[in-house]
Amino acid sequence: MNQNDLRPTGGLPPMAALDALQARFALRVTARLTERAAELGPDLTERLRFAREQALERARAVRSAEAAATVGVSRGGAAILGQAGSGWWLKLASVLPVLALAAGLFMIQRLQENAQISSAAEVDAALLADDLPPRAYSDAGFVEFLKTPGE
Amino acid sequence: MASDKELSDFLKSVDKRAFKRALYAVRDEDAALDIVQDTMIRLSEKYADRPAAELPLLFQRILSNATMDWFRRQKVRNAVVRNFSDFESAGSDADFDILETLEALGGSLASESAADSVSRAQILLAIEAEVARLPGRQREAFLLRYWEELDVAETAAAMGCSEGSVKTHCSRAVHALSTALKTKGISL
Repeated sequence: MNQNDLRPTGGLPPMAALDALQARFALRVTARLTERAAELGPDLTERLRFAREQALERARAVRSAEAAATVGVSRGGAAILGQAGSGWWLKLASVLPVLALAAGLFMIQRLQENAQISSAAEVDAALLADDLPPRAYSDAGFVEFLKTPGE
Repeated sequence: MASDKELSDFLKSVDKRAFKRALYAVRDEDAALDIVQDTMIRLSEKYADRPAAELPLLFQRILSNATMDWFRRQKVRNAVVRNFSDFESAGSDADFDILETLEALGGSLASESAADSVSRAQILLAIEAEVARLPGRQREAFLLRYWEELDVAETAAAMGCSEGSVKTHCSRAVHALSTALKTKGISL
């Protein structure tokens, strides 16, 4: 190698020239390290190959598990097809039927309460609007009179 | 998403250097192999869905973390003490001249002959020993930056430090290696 190549060029600022020199030196050192790394014994090379294969096996297992999770079946029996990143939406979709059920039960309860109130109001209105005062129904003699068949 | 082949090719391209990096740090072949295997498995399990272009940085980061985990598990106090040398002042060798070492390396490359082949292996060993002797953070920055060929920002991300720290670590590592090689009179 021409030693003039190693001299910092006059055009570069001093810091840039120093950085370039450092990089050049470092790359020469790492080239020697690469040489050494290439000389690893067969035992180590084999163990590294085994480690690689194990890692690849894990990657395949993770991928197949993800692929299986991508096709999910909801509780209602409807198949939901989605992408791997749609887990959030799947959770939301499974919560929706529960929310609908709760809302339905609440509505039914309110309707029943309203029906009870309106029927009680009808009875009250009929009693109040009648010619007979409501107090008459608590009179034992009047109740007896009602039970007696008409003459 | 990286395909099986891309992941396999990547691991194949990086495994020996990763083993050496771990070995320089922990100085134990079995532990270094465990660290590399652990790193590969972590990468495959957690990041196999990432694009192939992201794998190098992720791998280096996981390798650094796995090495740190090993030290934590081993509770090796010496490693911590060794890192304190990172705080040494940069100007300790006033007569340091990187050009001298560069010229020695360049000249010796040109003049290498078959007769040097026996000593060459010893020189490679000596260079490797000097790299292994560097303080942990300096060695990590040096190897990530120049061996793994990450840029300064990527090295900083992998090491979890600032870009300025990476530059400082690299500069000190080059300085230390250059001085050590010069002292040993190493010619390749």
